[in-house]
Amino acid sequence: MPEISAPSIVPDTTKEEKTKSKDRPDRGYLVICWNDPVNLMDYVTHVFQAVFGWPKARAERHMLQVHQTGKSLLVRETFEKAEHYVHQLQGYSLHATMEREE
Amino acid sequence: MKFLPNPAKDPAERTLIFQIDTREEALLLAVLRLYPVIQNSHHHLSKDPQRAGSSEQRLLEESMAQQRAAHRRKLDELFLKPQRFFKDAPGERRLVLKGDQFEWLLQVLNDIRVGSWVKLGCPDLEKAPPLELTRANARYLHSMDLSGQFQMALLEAVK
Repeated sequence: MPEISAPSIVPDTTKEEKTKSKDRPDRGYLVICWNDPVNLMDYVTHVFQAVFGWPKARAERHMLQVHQTGKSLLVRETFEKAEHYVHQLQGYSLHATMEREE
Repeated sequence: MKFLPNPAKDPAERTLIFQIDTREEALLLAVLRLYPVIQNSHHHLSKDPQRAGSSEQRLLEESMAQQRAAHRRKLDELFLKPQRFFKDAPGERRLVLKGDQFEWLLQVLNDIRVGSWVKLGCPDLEKAPPLELTRANARYLHSMDLSGQFQMALLEAVK
């Protein structure tokens, strides 16, 4: 992602998406956003906020993770919900996929 | 193009107003006429090659095709009646976006930006060497840059 502006980074105190496999055995699909050099950082942050309803700090944290490490695990969900999110993210032309958790 | 903050009378009916000059307006319309640039086959549901021909993959491509058709219809309305979006104010020209038009325009511009990048061969924009420009690919470099500039101007409104 091209660097357009330096986002303010606020310590993220929210918990990562953790599954309780006993409670939700079908949430085995990971929605992952992959880095590319074309999507603008502010745009990616905005899309995460729009699609997941996240606060800006959390969206920026995932955006930076994509930018710095090449990918970010966004959510762990059921097949249907993961598919829905991938459709949403790709509707914004982000490089997002869903992968079966191993 | 510059965002003009305006207190909303009704927060549910969000209206975003941007100051725009006639040259920018012409450039924006010229860029938007390129839509869509990304092809439906660009989208992949998974990196797992076994899903390449799956019904879910076809559903994704159909979904993207339907979205592009809907976006294209809205663009046709824009080209047919630009006065619904571009308005004269005392001493200036304005781009007025209501309701979901903001997200729509962002998505359309990013399709053009990403699609242009794909047409350029998916270059790494952060590393040298620079692109070798030809008569054929120069227009995609322009459309990628211009759509990005308009995206940044739009995103100022939600910062």
